[in-house]
Amino acid sequence: MKHCGIIASVLLFVFLTLSLSGCWNRRELDTLAIVSGVALDKPKETDQIMITTQIIKPSQIKPTSSSGGETGGSSPYFNLTETGTSLFETIRKMTETCSRKLYWPHNHIIIISWDLAEEGIRKYMDLFIRDPEARLLVFILISKGQAKDILEEKPDLKKIPAMEIAEIVKASGATSFAPQITLKDFSERLLSKTTSPVAPIILLTGEGKGKRAHVAGTAVFKQDKLVGELDEIETRGFLWVAGKIKSGIINVECLQGKGQNSLEIIRANKKIIPEIKDGHISITIKIKEEGNLVNQMNNKDLSEPAAWEDLKKRQAAAIEGEIRAALKKAQELNTDIFGFGDSIHKKYPELWKEIEPKWDELFPSLETNVVVDAKLHHPGKLTKPLYPAEES
Amino acid sequence: MKLESGKISGSQLIFLAMGFIFGTSDIVIPVQAARQMGWLTVLSGALEALVFAAIFTALAMRFRGKTLIEFNDMIYGALFGKIISLLYIWYFLHLASLNMKFINDFFMAIIYPETPLVVLMIFLTLICASAVRNGLEVIARCSVLLTIFTIFFYIADTLMLLKESDVSNLLPFMGISWRAFLLSSHRAATLPFGETVVFIMIFAFLNKHTEAKKINLAIILAAIAVSMVTARNTAVLGNLTYIVTYPSFMALRQINIGEILNRMELTVTIMFLSMAFVKISLLYYTTALGIAQLFHLRSYLPLVLPLGAIIIALGMINFDNTIQDIYFSANFYPIYCLPFQIGFPLLSLIIAVIRGIPKKEP
Amino acid sequence: MFRSISKKIQFLKLLHQNPNPSGNSHDFPDFSQTQLTNNLNKNLSLLQDILGHSNDVNIREFCFGNQGKIKALLIFIDGLVDARIINESILRPLMYNSRFIDSGGKVTTDPLREIERSMLSVGNIKRINRVGDIVHNILSGSTALLIDSFCEAVIISTRGWETRGVQESKTDSIVRGPREGFSENLRANTALLRRKIKSPDLIIESRTLGKKTQTDICIAYLKTVVNPRLIKEIKRRLEQIKTDAILESGYIEQFIEDNPLSPFPSIDNNEKPDIIAAKILEGRAAILVDGTPFVLTMPMVLIENFQSAGDYYSRPYYTSVVRIIRYIAFLVGILAPAAYVALTTYHQELLPTPLLITMAASREGTPFPAMIEALAMGVVFEILREAGVRLPRPVGQAISIVGALVIGESAVSAGLITAPMVIVVAFTAICSFVVPALYDVQVIIRVILVILAGFLGEFGIFIGLLGLLVHLCALQSFGTPYLSPLAPLNPSGLKDVFVRAPLWLMSNRSRGMGEWDPLRQAFRLMPQQPEKDNE
Repeated sequence: MKHCGIIASVLLFVFLTLSLSGCWNRRELDTLAIVSGVALDKPKETDQIMITTQIIKPSQIKPTSSSGGETGGSSPYFNLTETGTSLFETIRKMTETCSRKLYWPHNHIIIISWDLAEEGIRKYMDLFIRDPEARLLVFILISKGQAKDILEEKPDLKKIPAMEIAEIVKASGATSFAPQITLKDFSERLLSKTTSPVAPIILLTGEGKGKRAHVAGTAVFKQDKLVGELDEIETRGFLWVAGKIKSGIINVECLQGKGQNSLEIIRANKKIIPEIKDGHISITIKIKEEGNLVNQMNNKDLSEPAAWEDLKKRQAAAIEGEIRAALKKAQELNTDIFGFGDSIHKKYPELWKEIEPKWDELFPSLETNVVVDAKLHHPGKLTKPLYPAEES
Repeated sequence: MKLESGKISGSQLIFLAMGFIFGTSDIVIPVQAARQMGWLTVLSGALEALVFAAIFTALAMRFRGKTLIEFNDMIYGALFGKIISLLYIWYFLHLASLNMKFINDFFMAIIYPETPLVVLMIFLTLICASAVRNGLEVIARCSVLLTIFTIFFYIADTLMLLKESDVSNLLPFMGISWRAFLLSSHRAATLPFGETVVFIMIFAFLNKHTEAKKINLAIILAAIAVSMVTARNTAVLGNLTYIVTYPSFMALRQINIGEILNRMELTVTIMFLSMAFVKISLLYYTTALGIAQLFHLRSYLPLVLPLGAIIIALGMINFDNTIQDIYFSANFYPIYCLPFQIGFPLLSLIIAVIRGIPKKEP
Repeated sequence: MFRSISKKIQFLKLLHQNPNPSGNSHDFPDFSQTQLTNNLNKNLSLLQDILGHSNDVNIREFCFGNQGKIKALLIFIDGLVDARIINESILRPLMYNSRFIDSGGKVTTDPLREIERSMLSVGNIKRINRVGDIVHNILSGSTALLIDSFCEAVIISTRGWETRGVQESKTDSIVRGPREGFSENLRANTALLRRKIKSPDLIIESRTLGKKTQTDICIAYLKTVVNPRLIKEIKRRLEQIKTDAILESGYIEQFIEDNPLSPFPSIDNNEKPDIIAAKILEGRAAILVDGTPFVLTMPMVLIENFQSAGDYYSRPYYTSVVRIIRYIAFLVGILAPAAYVALTTYHQELLPTPLLITMAASREGTPFPAMIEALAMGVVFEILREAGVRLPRPVGQAISIVGALVIGESAVSAGLITAPMVIVVAFTAICSFVVPALYDVQVIIRVILVILAGFLGEFGIFIGLLGLLVHLCALQSFGTPYLSPLAPLNPSGLKDVFVRAPLWLMSNRSRGMGEWDPLRQAFRLMPQQPEKDNE
């Protein structure tokens, strides 16, 4: 009798699957319009929103057709632009011009235009988190100028602009001149009462057809509204404190006016120690850095320990300078991008309840100490400068 | 003829109970209100549940080889015993349908927004029904494999998420009020852990009745695992943990190791489904067995498919929407379940001790 | 309608009344209990009636004894007997030597016994007077010697027909290990088994099955190791077989297996003596059937399909890797097409973007949904395989070339089928050959999973897998859970599941089977360096 049950359930299974035409969520690959990037703009006259999506045309990037080069096929992507009042409605409206339903999980970047960001973007981010199709590992970028134009950039190494921009953002770790902000980082900061979101800035450089995307600098928000920007050095100062430095080059002089030394950052980590004494708040930022010498452009003999120590100190000073610049800018803008507020909250949960309401007044004049412990390991393959040896 | 001739061993009980606890703990996290302290409220909730479990095991020791339904009659007499048994059967059935709803809601929210809920429910119910028809031994064997598999994934996923997690997200320590903390740990105690009251029906089928005590070990081990997962989710998601519907799922979406090991949310869906299978099968089984014992039927097999239909129907009408069921499990359930998890068992134990039943055989 | 039902009921009633369903008891008088008379001619005509007048039935009449006064006859089947034995060991001593016996002087109480003892130089002789047994013996290759005025026949074992010798097994070839395989000859097979296990504990019990074929079968087991309940159960099930013909061990398998409705086999078969010996040594029982090299062993557990004899002959490290690969291949074999269908039609977000784009590109313009493609390709592959298996090797190659070219190349370039699907199906097919014993099971599960995946995606696949797990957990083979030692979990049994532990670690027989003698070998057998002299 046991077996009858098995047979019955197997039969019921097959019957159910076959009869219930269960194709509710079925989408064959050739019914998808794969979105690789999206740009949000604000049309000038209205309070509507303009959305541009970049959609991949898979048939045009077939590996077999690549031998003929770009001449034969049309471009492997196209951009759709639509204007409307609400985000989701506008996206759905795109099916009026696109034969396939937009497919979001492979979206790589969200570009938001400067003026839209100034108005506040919380209401738009909600959709990108809430929708089951959307993923949190999307890069957020702020464009100077129209976001839509960025998606029309001509890619060099990849075939899709959005994917190339995502690669550029990832590659920015080599200089650490731009933060890599995913939707997850961004929304975590949006959810914090004091910590403000940031995003890298993207702009187009070059003329005419040869326009290239360029990612550098940081757009700084207050809550969800864009309030200012950090330049490249300030950005790195911010990344030191955020502990997100991956690599980068520090230029320091060791002989006044005679040329610089380039030092490569190998690894770095940070510690933020808030302290409250008698109601007085101070933040100590401790940075530990390790670097190598990669390029010497002067003739100072660095094989002497004293000279090497001096270089090390200058490196530390340069790092501290970067951090100071970032702190100064953030305090000017009165936006806590470093998460100092949250770090106080974590250490002094009781006192924080009193501090929180007046954090905005406290932050611009917050006392900060920067302690940099920089190390310099290798001089590379040379121990002495590439200059004729001086007779002693 | 005996309704269930199978026997399970102590170690099978451990895995069965762990799987049972994992069944909902990861899908419905009632400890979100505790924010950073979620992981600790899980542990303190488990401590509270250990008190419950002490009562369950005391009952099991007193009434060797008797299930809840059988000893209710001995304690309360035929009429009241039957009423209480009926209430319990309702509770198990209701729990089964709730879990059925939770798991299929999850699938609908994440992958199949356009698929009718009832289709997913029918498939899962059929599988559970086939397990129930095969009896306790088969459910126990399945649960051992599935639980080991789940624990393996808990650990593997946590290791893969180490890179993404930021331990400072777990701070501040005790940043919430005591009231919120206690409330939250009570929720944890009742939602996954206290539901082990269902094992009063299972203890009777142990090889050695003393092994019933192993339920404590299961609760402790499961609490450690659930706490680890909760802590991991908070560490990975930070503030987001408290607003997303399925934190584990969201956390695993963050895995990205060398662009190859990513999109591991599939493992979450596997774990959720297999653990929900264990939980629903066990509840389903106890319901069927309970009814058969209550009405002195010769076999529970004819009950299986009708009960499945009831579970589906109940699951469909339980809640209108997900918001309701989240609200229910966080605010109403911790009170609703109290008589079943602690009230009746404690009362039974007291009456049994006072009246000195079961009478010692000479 | 009702009439046909009532007819059926009538027929069933008839069947119940008649204990012999083949119904031939009406045609022939039942002779099995008839006894021989002491009249030679009567006996001869009786046997001739029973055996019919087939021309391979040889009846040799002759006279012997002093002055050739005693009439006798030999009955045997031509081709089943060794003519040399008959000529030299039966006829020659009887016809020549008997003349010198002085039978007149001494009166022997039992002349037949005298003949047996001093004249017939053949090893195996018995005396029978039941006609049924005589006929059975003649038909299985013995020679019956009937002597006038005696009501007993002397049955002389003269078996000697043409058989295939012991050859290398074709189905289970291994790199290291004995090459010999069983043959079709039951006695040769039991001999091969005896040569592996020279213990008096090895019991080989024999019986006959099949009303018409009268097939000899043997149950072999180790008396001290096997669970006696197992042997009892096997005998009980064998007794329930009431059939005309047992032509192969597969007949027996299908009559006595535990789970006739499951695709999973619950009785293992093999044609290699070393493997059968190993299984008997683990506490299993084997059934050898005359006329087939395939020997059944029971109880069977799932993991046996993943173990190969070579695993135990080679060192454990690489063996363990290979064993894990077998499990992976099995999983791929059942899951790959379903996973592909689910990924491409439901869970495209799980694919890395470049892969998705490539797959979408090859998908453009192909007409069929992925599920139909997977099912159709599966059918095409099964057709190719079936065509290739039955044909002689050169033709088979032609088929595989045509298949590869037509299906693999043209269908893709014509845009009928996506290229990734061809890869998936081909790889799946290769994987499913890694565990050949479960090939058929894999095909069935694969199809079910593809259908489930096509309609419900990943949820469907896991529902299917959970169903499979429940099914496997519920299966039993002669009282042993099919998934043991995995479920119920027995940690010490895991030494031989996913990895193969070194032999010196496997001191216990697997639980549930050989527990009557749980120790296989001593503990602490790990090879040690000789202790150094302290001089």
